[in-house]
Amino acid sequence: MTDYAAFRLEVRQFLEASLTPELRRAGKLTTSVFSDFESSMAWQRILHAKGWAAPDWPEEYGGPGWDIHQRYIFQEECKLANAPSIIAMGIQMLGPLLMKYGTEAQKTEIIPRILSGDDVWCQGYSEPGAGSDLASLKTTAERDGDHYRVNGTKIWTSLAQHSNKIFCLVRTNKDVKPQAGISFLLMDIDLPGITIDPIVSLDGQVEQCQVFFEDVEVPVTNLVGDENDGWSVAKSLLEFERGGHNFTIDIKKQLGKVRDQALRIRGRGGRPKLEDPVFRTQLAEAEIEAMALEQTELRIKGSFAAGGNPGALSSLVKAVGTELSQQFNELSVDAVGRAITPYFPEGLDPHFEGETPVPDYATTTMAEYINNRSATIYGGTAEVQRNIIAKQILKL
Amino acid sequence: MNEEQQMLLDSAQRYLRDTYDFNSRRDMANSEQYISTTHWQAFAEMGWLAMPFGEQHGGLGFGMEEVALLSEEFGKHLVLEPMLESTVVAGSVLTYPGVAVESSHIDALVSGEKIYALAHQEPDTTADIDNLSAHAQHVANGLKITGNKAYISAGAVTDYFIVTAKLEGQLALFLVPKDAEGLTVTRYKTYDGRSAANLAFDMELPFSSLMARGDLARSAFMTMRDRAILGASAEALGAMQAALDTTVDYTRQRVQFGKPLSSFQALQHRMANMLIQIELCRSLVGAACRALDAGSEDARRLTLAAKVKVTSTARKVTQEAIQLHGGIATTDEYVVGHYFKRVTALESWVCSREDALVDFIRLTDAA
Ligand SMILES: Cc1cc2nc3c(=O)[nH]c(=O)nc-3n(C[C@H](O)[C@H](O)[C@H](O)COP(=O)(O)OP(=O)(O)OC[C@H]3O[C@@H](n4cnc5c(N)ncnc54)[C@H](O)[C@@H]3O)c2cc1C
Repeated sequence: MTDYAAFRLEVRQFLEASLTPELRRAGKLTTSVFSDFESSMAWQRILHAKGWAAPDWPEEYGGPGWDIHQRYIFQEECKLANAPSIIAMGIQMLGPLLMKYGTEAQKTEIIPRILSGDDVWCQGYSEPGAGSDLASLKTTAERDGDHYRVNGTKIWTSLAQHSNKIFCLVRTNKDVKPQAGISFLLMDIDLPGITIDPIVSLDGQVEQCQVFFEDVEVPVTNLVGDENDGWSVAKSLLEFERGGHNFTIDIKKQLGKVRDQALRIRGRGGRPKLEDPVFRTQLAEAEIEAMALEQTELRIKGSFAAGGNPGALSSLVKAVGTELSQQFNELSVDAVGRAITPYFPEGLDPHFEGETPVPDYATTTMAEYINNRSATIYGGTAEVQRNIIAKQILKL
Repeated sequence: MNEEQQMLLDSAQRYLRDTYDFNSRRDMANSEQYISTTHWQAFAEMGWLAMPFGEQHGGLGFGMEEVALLSEEFGKHLVLEPMLESTVVAGSVLTYPGVAVESSHIDALVSGEKIYALAHQEPDTTADIDNLSAHAQHVANGLKITGNKAYISAGAVTDYFIVTAKLEGQLALFLVPKDAEGLTVTRYKTYDGRSAANLAFDMELPFSSLMARGDLARSAFMTMRDRAILGASAEALGAMQAALDTTVDYTRQRVQFGKPLSSFQALQHRMANMLIQIELCRSLVGAACRALDAGSEDARRLTLAAKVKVTSTARKVTQEAIQLHGGIATTDEYVVGHYFKRVTALESWVCSREDALVDFIRLTDAA
């Protein structure tokens, strides 16, 4: 039997010793799924040195060999200690996928560099014309000897501006039904013919990009899985993308934050906003929703641990987790009131040291509220999750 | 709608359509300037800055109904210039019967030469008027006022602040020029593309800066608040209507799974719900404006009801607009997210939804 209390203590002590004030600041100032890029990478290197960069990976690939409860504890402690987030595209998405579908060469060359952070990967799936209907994607890869020639464009590619690699879904056969003509292709992002246009988000920052491909030559050995088999490869990745994440941890953190905010704001009669019955009731109701989610996540974890597959239940958790998290964003907005208005992006840079017009407790509130609207759009929209539930669970 | 109202609406629609397209609005919002002096001047020339004032003030003598008509158009075009702050809010205080202010200020406001704004909100508080920390006291040649104000809308372009403070335990309203000695103004941009400021002050002002105190100050404040609420509600109404219109257009054009998004019944119902809620808001805002203009007894209760309903609806409708667009709506280049940011800023402007709800309950139970 693992001694989980001892494990938690070990993690806590490690975080205490290794998270510099700058890294914690970066964690605290995170307003989307991504923290300040340099801070994330610095943190990944520290974790890597300890052997903890990829908690979900098996030991043979450099994972720590933790069970599902240890992984939960680790994620929870990292969150509580304000660690920056680790970029998911390499460790959460591509790594496990290569373990399953990669060639030996791909496994030995690519996987260690994902773990160490030497390579930064971005995900090139979506296109201007292919979002929810991903299978309609049009970027083509035409075989030309030992190369593919790639033409087309990808959009909403998160962190492409910081990445040196991109994994893409491309069309290798136009004459079959859409899902049957797609392949999974790895590329260096500095190949001739690739250009990257940053997209300014609603919060004024750049996180996503549009990537253009013009006669880009990619070696055939960069194919993952068989030619035209990219759809099933990608689908398993979508499951990695949706599973594995514990929404409860993030939401508990949000709950703590809202309480803190509501304690700092004086409402009617000079009493803390938290004592305002209207607000207090709303917060309690949201907390109850969070408890229901937590128990659902525990049920799913239990079934995982027993060797089961939660299947479409991960869609349920994705839908509920993201929507509830948005509800907590709204409670934060309600709690701090007018303090959401200042637009002061300098204050979100972990290295900024000057005065800001916003109090500490509200620095990230509006940016988080704005950015988290995307949570029900990326990784399969809230509507797509319901389509999956309707089809796979209700068999409609 | 009467003829005058129709003319006002026509001219507003014409002007905004011709000069206030989203891209130039976005360039302005992203520039170092906070507002366009060209637009502001044009607003003054068209009489928009003078709308609610009586003829004795060079105004058009319009009521809240007309202000709402204009505000709604402003909401649709995401107008950045502070007509609500200066004309509706500050103007309401400056022209309130009994408030002591030189008429040259009203002239300057109406001509657009100077911008006025309410400085009431304080850091770390809700906007409750019984809960002010700023305070004033009599000194040899006037009054000494000390305190902090935060997130003052239009603060970066304001020439005169209407500052609320406690004077001998009572609410008092002061008119303070932006360059008053002892006043520090920290200016910045806001998420909705506008400006605001934080004020820190420890200043001595002449007696003449005291505009009202006690019951007079209170009723001037509450009248101003009603007008602010309805102006903001009308603007939010325009913004959410535009968000719905944009969503309907977009889903008609956007094809996924071989069909326009608008053909999915699940999405049709979502848009139908947006419409239903907007229409309910429209009814309440209209009724509240008419009641206020007619001086009806239930005007304030209707106003508070409008505030509560519009605030939650605008939030929900603009969130839905983003959701139904997908990724495109999360970009600065696309209009729909800007409606969302604007209605979010309006939620707590002058009066929060919760304060409105509490006051609504009070009024209801007192009746
Ligand atoms: C912040 C952010 C980061 C992202 N990062 C990446 C990335 O790194 N890599 C990448 O490849 N992609 C990324 N994406 C893209 C994301 O996967 C897509 O935005 C998503 O798949 C939705 O596609 P869309 O935006 O084209 O919306 P659309 O598919 O056009 O959908 C618009 C609306 O219609 C609804 N809808 C569509 N079809 C149906 C239906 N059949 N029934 C009911 N409703 C329907 C949708 O749910 C949505 O509400 C990111 C997106 C965001 C916002």
